[in-house]
Amino acid sequence: MACFERASPALKEILLKIHGAERPMEVDHHLHEFGSVHYHVQCSASDPVYTYISISTPLLSRGLPLSSELPKHTLEMVKNICPNVMETMEPLKEGFQLTLKLNLSRIPHSKASTKTITDISSVQAVILSSQLKEILKNVDSHEISRGIYKPIKLVYHPREPFFVIKQPTKIAAIFPMRFKEPEDVIIATAFLQELMDVGSSKACAKAPHCTWSPIPPPELRGEPIEDLSTNCGFVSFDIMSRHVKGKKLDKTVWNLLNFYAFVKYHVKSTRGFIQRRMRMRLDRLVQPLKNVEIEEDQPMKTTAKGCTPMSKWISASKSKIAERKHEFTKKIKRLRSRIKIHGFGRFRRRWLKIPRFSPVTRYMKLE
Amino acid sequence: MANSLRLYLTCIRNTLEAAMCLQNFPCQEVERHNKPEVELKTSPELLLNPVLICRNEAEKCLIETSINSLRISLKVKQADELENILTKKFLRFLSMRAEAFQVLRRKPVQGYDISFLITNYHCEEMQKQKLIDFIVQFMEDIDKEISELKLSVNTRGRLVATEFLKQFI
Repeated sequence: MACFERASPALKEILLKIHGAERPMEVDHHLHEFGSVHYHVQCSASDPVYTYISISTPLLSRGLPLSSELPKHTLEMVKNICPNVMETMEPLKEGFQLTLKLNLSRIPHSKASTKTITDISSVQAVILSSQLKEILKNVDSHEISRGIYKPIKLVYHPREPFFVIKQPTKIAAIFPMRFKEPEDVIIATAFLQELMDVGSSKACAKAPHCTWSPIPPPELRGEPIEDLSTNCGFVSFDIMSRHVKGKKLDKTVWNLLNFYAFVKYHVKSTRGFIQRRMRMRLDRLVQPLKNVEIEEDQPMKTTAKGCTPMSKWISASKSKIAERKHEFTKKIKRLRSRIKIHGFGRFRRRWLKIPRFSPVTRYMKLE
Repeated sequence: MANSLRLYLTCIRNTLEAAMCLQNFPCQEVERHNKPEVELKTSPELLLNPVLICRNEAEKCLIETSINSLRISLKVKQADELENILTKKFLRFLSMRAEAFQVLRRKPVQGYDISFLITNYHCEEMQKQKLIDFIVQFMEDIDKEISELKLSVNTRGRLVATEFLKQFI
């Protein structure tokens, strides 16, 4: 399985660490990517000049059993990544297809060093895409002249083979799409239909023409039945000469190699998106039911709404209510306090005295 | 809201209003037990005739009533495969969180997508009118949410497809 980024992030980080270290480092790391790519990075303090990277990667094959050695043209392309810093080593380390000897001290400590190390980290991408480039270049021209357009089956993952058919005016890349889960099949089908629609729109007129069909296209007639049995149909891209000119060749090859990974990633992220959306929606759906209970429990809250000062009074906290009560009683006391007039007490006792009457209910003792 | 949907929902609302007159009723089979009769169906005299309200073949609502409980089963429309998986996923997601809804049944009645079970205790705790409002609102929201989800998935797919094809240009 390919990765969207050409450079391996883990390998890049280790190389940057080694390059940036002030003292020689002792490094012996085994990295595994996508379950099938294996890196072994070695650097010893006794030999600080050289760093060794061994790589084992599934090769793009024409449906034949995977070969253990890299083809010559691939090795040439690897050497050209950064010729002054790295060289291939012979013999290879056991269990690996390529061993590189890096002299990181030759990389100057500047901004350009990151770019050089990124290029070195993308060695696996170079190996993978160089093979497809070579296959496309070396298609038997004799067959084309005779009008035989035989599909080339390319496998870099046993479950994800795809076909390349070179025709006089175009190269057709056909991907049989397979998914394990029925849910994934539906999401992927919706995506592939959108891809076909977008491909035929004006905005993407310059992009390769893309078609999706649930049945195998006629170009694959005669291929083994196991290659033609899919659950998500067939996607084909018509690659014209303008798509493989100059720098575009590299991009096109990388996009074709990544197509499966791209669709799978989209399906996975769409599933996540649906889950997030449902989670968000759950709260909103439950809300009306919560309101039913709250209103049932506290019916007085709504009745207090009419009178603003009263509702304010109710909605205040306990401490505030106590404070307000204290102030209110203080005010009342002040209002009810007697006005003192000098000599008024004597005047009241003399002139305003209320005579005492004996209560009616009092009984007199009879003699 | 479409006219046919309004009629469909109004019909459900009216039926629920008529059906939701539940009372406490102990089980006749087991002493000191109180079970929803609509689930057990042990005494036919305690059950009312079920009402089936259909908007079309794919959208229907079954209202089963008994003396102390009411069961509402809904079948949500699924126009295509994408809507089908979205509906299944969403309703399964809700059913797994049934405790949040109180009246939601963990497993839908066979042939339906989602079921509610309302007992007399629910009617005592909650306002009847609001409970009916909730059911109707829920039906509206589910339809809306599934349409929105489908639209978002397709829009997302279109954007991703555009980005992929732009890389070739």
